[in-house]
Amino acid sequence: MKLVGIVGTNATASTNRQLLQYMQQHFTDQATIEIGEIAPLPAFNEPEDRAVPAEVQVLSDQIEAADGVIFATPEYDHSIPAALKSAIEWLSYTTRPLINKPVMIVGASNGSLGTSRAQTHLRQILEAPELKALVMPNVEYFLGHSLQAFDEAGNLTDADKAQELDADFMAFLAFIELTAKITPANKFVEKNQQFSWSQITDGRD
Amino acid sequence: MKFIGIVGTNAKKSYNRMLLKFMQDHFQDQAEIEILELTDVPLFNESDDQSQSPLIQSFNQKIMDADGVIIAAPEHNHSVPSALKSIIEWLSYKLHPLDGKPVMIVGASYSVQGSSRSQLHLRQILDAPGVNATVMPGSEFLLGRAQTAFDDQGALKVEGTVNFLDSCFMKFIKFAGIVAEMNVPDAVTYQPGTYEVTAVGHNGNLPMSVTLSDDRIEDIQIDTSTETKGIADVVFDRIPKEIIDGQTLAVDAISGASMTSNGVINGVAEAVKAAGANPDALKKRRAAQATAAQNITDITTDVVVVGAGGAGLTAAAQVLQSGRNVLVVEKFPAVGGNTVRAGGPMNAADPEWQNKFEAIPGEKHTLTEITQIDEATIAPEYLADFRALKAQITNYLKENEDQRGYLFDSTLLHRIQTYLGGKRTDLNGQPIYGQYDLVKELTDHALESVKWLEKIGVEFDQEQVTMPVGAIWRRGHKPLGDQGFAYIKGLQGFVTSHGGRIMTETAAEELTTTAAGKVDGLIAKGANNTKVIVHAKAVILASGGFAANTKMLQEYNTYWTSIDDDIKTTNSPAMTGDGIQLGTGVGADLVGMGFSQMMPVSDPETGELFTGVQVPPQNFVMVNQAGKRFVNEYGSRDELTQAAIDNGSLFYLIADDEIKKTAYNTTQAKLDAQVAAGTLFRADTLVDLAKQINMDPAALTETITNYNAYADAGEDPEFHKNAFDLKVEVAPFYATPRKPATHHTMGGLKIDTGAHVINTDGQVINGLYAAGEVAGGIHAGNRLGGNSLSDIFTFGRIAATSALNEEVTVPVK
Repeated sequence: MKLVGIVGTNATASTNRQLLQYMQQHFTDQATIEIGEIAPLPAFNEPEDRAVPAEVQVLSDQIEAADGVIFATPEYDHSIPAALKSAIEWLSYTTRPLINKPVMIVGASNGSLGTSRAQTHLRQILEAPELKALVMPNVEYFLGHSLQAFDEAGNLTDADKAQELDADFMAFLAFIELTAKITPANKFVEKNQQFSWSQITDGRD
Repeated sequence: MKFIGIVGTNAKKSYNRMLLKFMQDHFQDQAEIEILELTDVPLFNESDDQSQSPLIQSFNQKIMDADGVIIAAPEHNHSVPSALKSIIEWLSYKLHPLDGKPVMIVGASYSVQGSSRSQLHLRQILDAPGVNATVMPGSEFLLGRAQTAFDDQGALKVEGTVNFLDSCFMKFIKFAGIVAEMNVPDAVTYQPGTYEVTAVGHNGNLPMSVTLSDDRIEDIQIDTSTETKGIADVVFDRIPKEIIDGQTLAVDAISGASMTSNGVINGVAEAVKAAGANPDALKKRRAAQATAAQNITDITTDVVVVGAGGAGLTAAAQVLQSGRNVLVVEKFPAVGGNTVRAGGPMNAADPEWQNKFEAIPGEKHTLTEITQIDEATIAPEYLADFRALKAQITNYLKENEDQRGYLFDSTLLHRIQTYLGGKRTDLNGQPIYGQYDLVKELTDHALESVKWLEKIGVEFDQEQVTMPVGAIWRRGHKPLGDQGFAYIKGLQGFVTSHGGRIMTETAAEELTTTAAGKVDGLIAKGANNTKVIVHAKAVILASGGFAANTKMLQEYNTYWTSIDDDIKTTNSPAMTGDGIQLGTGVGADLVGMGFSQMMPVSDPETGELFTGVQVPPQNFVMVNQAGKRFVNEYGSRDELTQAAIDNGSLFYLIADDEIKKTAYNTTQAKLDAQVAAGTLFRADTLVDLAKQINMDPAALTETITNYNAYADAGEDPEFHKNAFDLKVEVAPFYATPRKPATHHTMGGLKIDTGAHVINTDGQVINGLYAAGEVAGGIHAGNRLGGNSLSDIFTFGRIAATSALNEEVTVPVK
């Protein structure tokens, strides 16, 4: 199984990156997890020529080549960071690699809520018709007090939280296999349909 | 009413922009709406804070000044566009202009949804604690199928839509009025009396008494006896004054002393609370801030000095000694720069004085090692001096063969140690060492600087000869009084009492030149938006290095494999390389910029040097997190830093109770305060000490047992520690946690022995001089501890002398 884990922030120090690195190591027998960074992407500005910046293409190719995507998002002001939103806008406006792609959402924050509101927003965003990702239902993984959550070797110090992540990850692997069976056959057609917000007027909303 | 309208997208074409423009025009009789665009707003990045950039500041100021904000946002992927989210993040990170501000949300979209989901997200976002806007409930204005909604003039076509927008907007005007009333601070009344509270200062708690009458804060007294002198003095003068003048707690912390500033503010808040009033009401009372039109101050003087640290004040004092005028501009509110943060001792070979002290074990060994250095490795220009030094050492060793002997030193030893200490090779294989003529100038005149300082009024401790970490030799002249502040106190007193003028909060922004390229003054930005124009015969740059400018360090770095974005610094936050920028602005050349120094023994949380116990290395043991020794405690700073990095950065200095007799900063009260503050660990047994710092007790005990044995034998077979004094045997035992932090930048403006700044063509820039850390070439790859003070006092004097001789002397008529 080949997965890509997207770090949901452009900050240099991020416990969400640490969480993905932990998953990368810890689940090495079950899956290959590549880490995708959004920091190099420019700010989305709805360019009229729809040109795909090279950095967006890199991330898009990573997603395209993966069997599933893990988003690890922080929470800024009750929602996802602008940098992550910007990356998602690029993907929805240009290459659309998330169509029918199985997605797992995790999040780490230093507060006690562990990104609960950001994750709800992210689910709603990924379900927009321009993205059409298949977000795994039922599973929410919140890592609160994340600055204290890892030991020096990068492992989760709380055994319960580690176990919960094990179970959630196994569920995601099963979800990927399940969605492969129900993925609509028109995936190809959807993908090649260029999207723009001005086209929603055609009643596709 | 005055409102700000924010176009919630950075797209070129936007119906939300059209909607705001329509509102601006349609409601012009009811309110003035200024429209702000997101086009140039950078993507928020917490690792690259741009809260102070003109653009973000303009959003901040305009929103603060407005009666309300209207946000017009489209919907992208069921949520708000990233561009809108980005500006909200900027305005909720360090700045909070939307706090309590009335906000109206409108939205237009192509689809029939009219941004319905985006508006719900936006409400939730604006409710977040960092934003805390007051969003008008109800009255959702959703403009669906926006592409058909406007006529050619940009007006909404459908009358019903306009009517609904009218009713929403009228409601917002009312809402903004009501919210404004909510924001009016409550009248504050106190239970009169004097309240004893504590402010949290830099070195612990400061007792404070606050006197309140029925409706006023009358007096604030702070007991500052435990605080480090110099750094926070301006806090104790200014913060109480601003609180009393404005009867407000909304005063800004002083740059460089924010912790102490907030300690004082919180202490007063505590008193206000104890007097039965709500401190939050006082925190909302913004003191009326003068944003008057720009004032221009024009000053003419003989010499202008940039930076009021040790180098700048030395240059200023020297100018005054010749009976000339001097102006010192300092960008921070307090004088002292980095000098007030220095440990105190300055290096100068003074054999007459040093010979009165006994040698300590290990020193002869160090001297012998110098004589054994292969001459082929010595740069040709240093070779003659090196040979002369070898002869001196050989004589000394012979003379003291059968006895402990006295402490040896000479100008040559200082010079060769400075040279050897500065020899480095960077990551590109580029070697560097101190420029011979500059190093000679420094070591030849360092002792004169000590004598000169004594005349100015700085007293030195004749009873001890000390060695700061990384100094290699005991030749430190330690001033009596508070560490580095002792110099500043003496120099500042001299400068002000001899008619010198020091302008604080005045940041030099550019140098001015004559048509012929001679530097003839500068333009600075002063306090309260004033512009200061200085005309002078000479300009001396003494503004320090750039150790507090991580970006600049990373940009020039060729020495360390990497410099972390969040690395701490031991320096004043003022050290951002301003003088280097000023110099290059007039064509100055730079030298050795890739080499920076880390202080291996800094506080892991703050980068500060003066937490924990400050003792010379012969009195402590360095152990890693596993409780094992990992380096020779006498290693150069680079060896210590690299060893620390290799051992996970965090390490500990282990010492025993006897340190009180030797430590620079230690009284029992201070030790107790540090233990209470968590910056120092103490236990009655080594086992308990190890447990406190999560260390294997057996490993630490074994390390100390071995160490004590080495101290007895005077020989360390493991790491070859140069000298021993105290063992670790008298309880209680102490552990000081340490980590490397940025400490000194060796590179800087290229100068010659007259402290003239040299341009990229190798020519002197007339009228421009540089002294101290702003200049490069002397310390090369690594600066010895105690040499920066020798540098600033020596080259500060040289710069002033050159300027006086060349530019200020009146020709004989």
